[in-house]
Amino acid sequence: MNAPHTNSPEAAPTSDVRSEEMLLNMGPQHPSTHGVFRVVIRTDGEIVLDSESHVGYLHRCFEKHCESVSFLQSVLYTDRLDYLTSMGNNLAFSMAVERLYPDLKIPERAEHIRVICAELNRIASHLLAIGTYGMDIGAITPFLYCFRDREKILSIFESICGQRLNYNYVRPGGVAYDIDDSMIAAIKDFCGYFRPKAQEYDDLLSNNDIFVRRTANVGVLPKDLAISYGVTGPSLRGSGLKRDLRRDAPYSIYDRFKFDIPVGTGEKGTLGDCYDRYMVRVREMIESLKIVEQAVAQIPDGPFKSEQLKGKLRPPKGESFVRVENSRGELGFYVISDGKDVAARVKCRAPSFHNISLLSDISKGCMIADMVAIIGSLDIVMGEVDR
Amino acid sequence: MDWSTIMWWVMAAVTVIPAVMIVLSKDIVRLAFWLLASLTGVAGLYILLGADFLGFTQVLVYIGGIMVLILFGIMMTNRDAVLMRRGETTGGAMLTGVVIAAATALALLKVVKDTKWKEAAPVEMPATTARVGEALLTDYVLPFELVSVLLLIVLCGAAYIARRRPEET
Amino acid sequence: MTTPYTLVDWVLGDGAGWLARFIGAILVWAVPITGFVSFVGLLSIWLERKISAHIQCRLGPMEVGPHGALQTVADGVKLLAKEDIIPADADRILFAFAPMLAFAGTIVGFAVVPFGPGLIVADLDIGLFYLAAVGSLEAIGVIAAGWASNNKWSLFGSVRAATQVVSYEIPMGLAFVTIAALAGTLSMVGIVEQQQGWIANWFLFRNPFTWVAFIIYYIAALAECKRAPFDLPEAESELVSGFHTEYSGMRFAIFFLAEYAQMYVVSAVAAVLFLGGWYTGIAPLDAAIGGGTAGMVVGAGVIVTKSFLLVCVQMWLRWTLPRIRLDQMMYLCLKVLMPFGMLTLVGSTVWEHFLPSPAIVKDGGGWTGNTVMTGVVVAAIGTVALVAYVRSVIRATPSLRAASNS
Repeated sequence: MNAPHTNSPEAAPTSDVRSEEMLLNMGPQHPSTHGVFRVVIRTDGEIVLDSESHVGYLHRCFEKHCESVSFLQSVLYTDRLDYLTSMGNNLAFSMAVERLYPDLKIPERAEHIRVICAELNRIASHLLAIGTYGMDIGAITPFLYCFRDREKILSIFESICGQRLNYNYVRPGGVAYDIDDSMIAAIKDFCGYFRPKAQEYDDLLSNNDIFVRRTANVGVLPKDLAISYGVTGPSLRGSGLKRDLRRDAPYSIYDRFKFDIPVGTGEKGTLGDCYDRYMVRVREMIESLKIVEQAVAQIPDGPFKSEQLKGKLRPPKGESFVRVENSRGELGFYVISDGKDVAARVKCRAPSFHNISLLSDISKGCMIADMVAIIGSLDIVMGEVDR
Repeated sequence: MDWSTIMWWVMAAVTVIPAVMIVLSKDIVRLAFWLLASLTGVAGLYILLGADFLGFTQVLVYIGGIMVLILFGIMMTNRDAVLMRRGETTGGAMLTGVVIAAATALALLKVVKDTKWKEAAPVEMPATTARVGEALLTDYVLPFELVSVLLLIVLCGAAYIARRRPEET
Repeated sequence: MTTPYTLVDWVLGDGAGWLARFIGAILVWAVPITGFVSFVGLLSIWLERKISAHIQCRLGPMEVGPHGALQTVADGVKLLAKEDIIPADADRILFAFAPMLAFAGTIVGFAVVPFGPGLIVADLDIGLFYLAAVGSLEAIGVIAAGWASNNKWSLFGSVRAATQVVSYEIPMGLAFVTIAALAGTLSMVGIVEQQQGWIANWFLFRNPFTWVAFIIYYIAALAECKRAPFDLPEAESELVSGFHTEYSGMRFAIFFLAEYAQMYVVSAVAAVLFLGGWYTGIAPLDAAIGGGTAGMVVGAGVIVTKSFLLVCVQMWLRWTLPRIRLDQMMYLCLKVLMPFGMLTLVGSTVWEHFLPSPAIVKDGGGWTGNTVMTGVVVAAIGTVALVAYVRSVIRATPSLRAASNS
């Protein structure tokens, strides 16, 4: 049990006794590929010798869609990218459109609402990631605890914008609707409620010996490999690199808030193992909560959307690139406008796509059960990978 | 016909018919399951003879242990290469088999016929477990321990042979 | 010795023909036990749903019957009515045969599980050995299912099942032997009768090593039942559904029923071996109930209650713990349970040699030197474990840590 699974390719056939090799199709329909993701695994018994990822089952031509519908309508499509972090997607795309206008001022209130929503959505997304990760490891109960708390966030979102999953709330120029005092009170309530709950997740899952043994030393992702693959988000921070766009290249009003950036420490095993990636998510929820609390405390009165953007959006000719720190990593939008009411070209840089690309590198020599643990720890959303 | 005679016939059928099927079956996994049935029949015969301990040892060792391992081995080998070879038995091989089997059967029949069987009065069989245990730990303690050591050696040897040597990697 | 015919002969009177006795035995034992297995299945599945629901901040089934008690019946009807699907490339005969084999392999265990004083199908002289022997029959059904499905996930599931069941038979056998050495018999009734009297007479409290034996047995039993954290053969998140991936409808239901029946069997065996069987553990109470029909009814209630409590613990564990990995499963068996099992066997016999339990069994028991010593050792270990646990909780909880430092 204590023999760590090394990930170096030469150590792959570690077993003393070899059996017949088998080619195994994991997915596109499989409970643990988190969507229609397919991995072809070459196994020796239960040991994974080699794996090959296949994506594209959920391709919906998002980028091409954006070239044929208006900018406001495109926001709607961004909801469906990483459907667990729709607020962050809306925010990134809206900012990309806004940057096309030379001197556009976004109202302070709108910026605060955006940050609150994005961070609440990050908590909701991480809750789902943690819950499903527990399920991947075989613990079903934490999933329902996570959903219990996620439900509260979704209810807040429902009261804010009428939607529970695809919000279409953050739009170029501000947000779609204002929030009132009752919603602010609900958010404050949630902050007070959620803080002690983090301990519950630690008791249920993080400190569970079986869980630690299943995730520590498994799927070790070294820092340099992560960088060379363009891994971002909690998966990168799990490898010990303190990189977070909210701090390194602050957008919106993130430079006004105090929060920490949790990184992996290798506390239970090797730096950059599945446990580190998991733990970063757990700790990030608390940091997001800190941001929400600060933003709610200092939210100003005023308009919730810019008066400068009205009617059909026709951004001036030009191009813009915006990247934000989304729940799963750096989400980037590159938008070219030629002055018409539809974009000339939109390119999306989706974090999940880059994060999953290294799967075959870090899963060599692990077992099938570890494969599930690794895919879960990378926390992908196929809507974003395939776009 | 009394109860035990009927059960004897049932158990004999459970032993022999699968045994024939083992010979005739061409699917190696089916064959393993026929073997399972045959071994169960043998266990039943032991129990009918009053050797309940031996009968359940048969179940424990052969069915619970060896059969599972045989199936395990079959499943871990390549299905296409090994298991799907059908119809390889040639006519000559078949004929040889039949002749040998017939000769053996004849010889056995002769032995059975020529032996002067003594008919014992049916007795209530006493419990065997305690007696088996006592015998193993008193009169037969040395052979018993020797067999244990032998099995240990076999275990080590099997592990050693199955192990891939370091220079191969 | 109780045989299947003891009760039959009592009903039919002497001189009945063998055919009548045979049919009588079927009517008296096989039919009620199959009924009981179905009842155990229904009750356990309902319990599992409610327990899991309440562990997970849910209510569970509430609509069909009071608190959803009839939900399982409704599901059973649905499963019966479902189309019987056999995959095109499956081994059809083996595919159909596998659930029967698994179910039969489980139900034969009931032959030596007592339901109360005198309520046992056959009090075999080798009851415990019989249990160990038939314990792996279910695995063969599982293996057949995995192979016959012609599905790689099923195959992985059945290979895992084979590995697991064959391996965990050994620690389980060691726990059996520990108790058999104390009891001096393999008969289930004989073992229970030695635990008559006060609770201190239960084999669980006989000496400190039997505690370890109980824990070893229970862990091994979890593995034999393929329950979490040992649910590797069906590991939903890894192997889709493991060996029963391709099964649906009634065939699936039979596998399901076999699993719950086996949970009951292993729990009942734990109750018999360690928890005093049908005795309440309060000597005057047992004496007041006495034998006869009253003793039979109360005894049956006691042993079924004990068994279901242990079944509930299995469910509690399942909804709490993650699944362990294959190599960890083997590690736990070969490097943890087996050495401890050996140690338990040796330790228990040595303890009994130097601190023999006197013949307290028959006269309702008493608190002997052995009991006191056992109590002292167990209390000492328990205190150390409790202190260690509380310390670890304090260390893991920032607020408590701060409070304890200040």
